[in-house]
Amino acid sequence: MPHALIQKVPSPETLEDASLTIDRRTTLRWLAAAMAAAAPLAACGETKSGFVWAVPQPITGKGYGKDPSLMDPIVPWPLTLTKAELAACAALCDLILPADGDAPAATAVGVPAFINEWISAPYPDQQADRALIIPGLAWLDAEAKSRSGGVFAKIGEASQKAIADDIAYKGKVKPGMEKAGDFFARMRSLTMGAYYSTQEGWQVIGYPGNTPGSGPYPGPTPEAIEHIKGVIEKMGLTYAQP
Amino acid sequence: MSPGPASAIDFDEGEGLDWPDSRIRGEAMVTTADDKFDAVIVGSGAGGSMAAYMLTKAGARVLMLEAGRDYNPDEAPMLNLAKDAPLRGAGTPDKPFGYYDATIDGGWTIPDEPYSAAEGSEFIWWRTRMLGGRTNHWARNSFRMGPYDFKPYTRDGLGVDWPISYDDLSPWYDKTEKLIGVYGTNTGLENHPSSGPGVLLDPPKFRAPELFVKAGGDALGIPVVPARRAVLTRDMDKRQQCYWASPCGRGCSIGAAFQTTTSLIPWAKETGKLTIQTGAMVYEVLLDKSGKASGVRYVDKASGAHREAQGRVVVLAASTGETARILLNTKPNGRSEGLANSSGQVGRNLMDTVGSGFSAYFPSLEGRPIYNEDGAGGLHAYIPFWQYKEIAAGKIKTPRGYHMEIGGGFGEPGIGSFGGFDGYGAGLRGEVKKRYGARFGFTQRGEMIPNANCYAEIDGEQKDKFGIPTLKFHWKWSEHEYAQVEHFQNAVKELVDRLGGTLLNEVKPPAEAISTGGEIIHEVGTCRMGASAKESVTNSLNRTWDVDNLYLTDGSVFASKAHKNPTITILALSMRASDHIATRLRTGEL
Ligand SMILES: Cc1cc2nc3c(=O)[nH]c(=O)nc-3n(C[C@H](O)[C@H](O)[C@H](O)COP(=O)(O)OP(=O)(O)OC[C@H]3O[C@@H](n4cnc5c(N)ncnc54)[C@H](O)[C@@H]3O)c2cc1C
Ligand code: SF4
Repeated sequence: MPHALIQKVPSPETLEDASLTIDRRTTLRWLAAAMAAAAPLAACGETKSGFVWAVPQPITGKGYGKDPSLMDPIVPWPLTLTKAELAACAALCDLILPADGDAPAATAVGVPAFINEWISAPYPDQQADRALIIPGLAWLDAEAKSRSGGVFAKIGEASQKAIADDIAYKGKVKPGMEKAGDFFARMRSLTMGAYYSTQEGWQVIGYPGNTPGSGPYPGPTPEAIEHIKGVIEKMGLTYAQP
Repeated sequence: MSPGPASAIDFDEGEGLDWPDSRIRGEAMVTTADDKFDAVIVGSGAGGSMAAYMLTKAGARVLMLEAGRDYNPDEAPMLNLAKDAPLRGAGTPDKPFGYYDATIDGGWTIPDEPYSAAEGSEFIWWRTRMLGGRTNHWARNSFRMGPYDFKPYTRDGLGVDWPISYDDLSPWYDKTEKLIGVYGTNTGLENHPSSGPGVLLDPPKFRAPELFVKAGGDALGIPVVPARRAVLTRDMDKRQQCYWASPCGRGCSIGAAFQTTTSLIPWAKETGKLTIQTGAMVYEVLLDKSGKASGVRYVDKASGAHREAQGRVVVLAASTGETARILLNTKPNGRSEGLANSSGQVGRNLMDTVGSGFSAYFPSLEGRPIYNEDGAGGLHAYIPFWQYKEIAAGKIKTPRGYHMEIGGGFGEPGIGSFGGFDGYGAGLRGEVKKRYGARFGFTQRGEMIPNANCYAEIDGEQKDKFGIPTLKFHWKWSEHEYAQVEHFQNAVKELVDRLGGTLLNEVKPPAEAISTGGEIIHEVGTCRMGASAKESVTNSLNRTWDVDNLYLTDGSVFASKAHKNPTITILALSMRASDHIATRLRTGEL
């Protein structure tokens, strides 16, 4: 994939049914899962360092059902991360999105709690993430202990980065650490999604919407029009309003 | 919720289908003046609500039976924050289009109300169980069918013609659009008819990326024009105009986005002539001795009791799949073919829209000035089909057209928005800023030609929790649809290329790129209308050929599935049919 993609989930500018096309595979997977008997997760094997990616206990509780209160949402499932896992999770979230000027760190907007909610949910996508993330957090601690003699949360930024650098870049994941690379990539997209979907995150990215207005839709600002006109003309095309 | 209508009578569960008429109409029933409905309507979505509105306005007393629960769009979490919803509102099997999506008790599956697909077929079926049906969360895209779309067989020898022409429906499109409120413009493009003077509402302005794509389209002869959507851009009566925020799929409690629960249903209620019974799962049509419809039989979901409701005319609008299911499950005198099925066409000719899509990334849109692009919560621009002449001249392979629904920009960042990044920390933050608003999507919505491999039938082995036999779907796309996907892929590649962009999804072979049957949720055709009783289920006024006072007013009557999204046509056909029913009721013909 030449450019990383900002994938859409249904959002204000969602096309009709756009989510359907994008979610099709997910949908079919869900349907298949509903129809097949729950197959036990395959054991994930051992890495070079001797670390075992143990399969965590799957969640068997109920979801929120097909008619939950939309005005007063609750998360009905119990949260399952241990204190130690949460500590590693928080440290990793903040490594991915540390505080930066006015932008708060991931932990300051509750991202670790969200990850806990996510991997504790009784749905297929979240269960798949659970099977990657829980052993992944244990891997972080094991790796930190063997390299720096302490759990991931306690070894300091430089040592944390040294571990992250081995697993955070596509095509450059250290041989033998592929599983940890998958774990990091998944944690990154969840952390980013959880972060930028808060109001603080909107501020950081610049999303100005979800604000009711009146009168006709104002459309692009004069500055935005000037800009797009310039882009269009630079490509040898003609700018025209409909 | 109002209690059940007084005319509904209990009868024992498990009674056979060949009930003696005396027990249906007889002594056991407590009859009061309130009992007699002029019309019984099944379903409160687009087709059913339009019928209820037209008939009550004409003075008829109407009973509407709806399988789902009561729903008031005040429940719609319009501006609520994703962070307050479980999983940031991500879709789950319980709520596939997200936590805040308006769908109630529905989705691709409904617990204890199964359906099946035949061996080798893939078909998925989106249902809701709520007052207003799927109109509470549809995308409101409302494109009229054109003259070619009603006479496809005449044009290319494929499929069948409708028994009506565009001119027959045109005045009803105008009336429907004026009533519900549709924004858009008259483009004058081939086979994209204009609305009457003063009918359309002003469309919202294009967003910057739409202007950008329009410039590319202009250079290539691909039209990028204002979309048409059933969304108010000015106040209409008690319904407020769009306030340019909140995803329309959550429902629109201010009434801007058309849904029957803020319009047709309350308007019909205001007449004092409408009785609504929710939680009423209809499973068969009742017939009197002369073979006329006398009402319907349903399960009252709250009590589990089986009841009957009676009227002078019966209108089925339970959606394309369910209407066929009710007819097939009704076995007058034990006849296995079902009701109104002397043509053998009930359940046949099932169609859905052809769908596929691309995301593209445009480096020249990086870092553009940010402003609010929420707009009307959906399409402002679209690409109508532009190559009818090339088809007629045999220059392109696809026999039928499609349109592209396009959009992207500074949307609300969500939990699924951040795949494909690399690294961490400050560098990552920078990438996010750079890419925000530089992605744009192109979605194909195309015409499918009916074929003998696509149909629904009763699954002889499965029943739902009420004991009602369920549907089994058969599905197979034909080479025509694959050719169309290929045309779309090439057109998008050309357009994206001219704009210096890159496709973010790989170009797959059409058979892999095409949507699953049912996935686009435009299923139509299971009881098609036609010119003769031999080849179709209803006449040109939605009346079944076999039963004089039985009407079908949902998408089941479509004879073809143009690339235009079906709902505006369902509404216009229902309005037209209901006008005719009202006349027959008034003159005592029914
Ligand atoms: C996410 C989404 C986006 C869409 N976008 C568009 C769009 O942009 N443009 C467009 O044209 N179309 C769109 N559609 C399709 C549109 O919603 C349908 O075409 C339309 O709602 C069909 O109307 P209907 O009256 O046939 O059925 P429905 O709206 O489905 O209503 C049928 C009603 O009947 C009830 N019912 C079913 N069975 C029974 C029974 N046995 N007894 C009693 N009641 C019963 C159901 O509970 C339901 O309330 C979209 C659909 C979805 C889900
Ligand atoms: S965007 Fe407009 S039409 Fe859509 S839900 Fe919001 S206010 Fe209603």
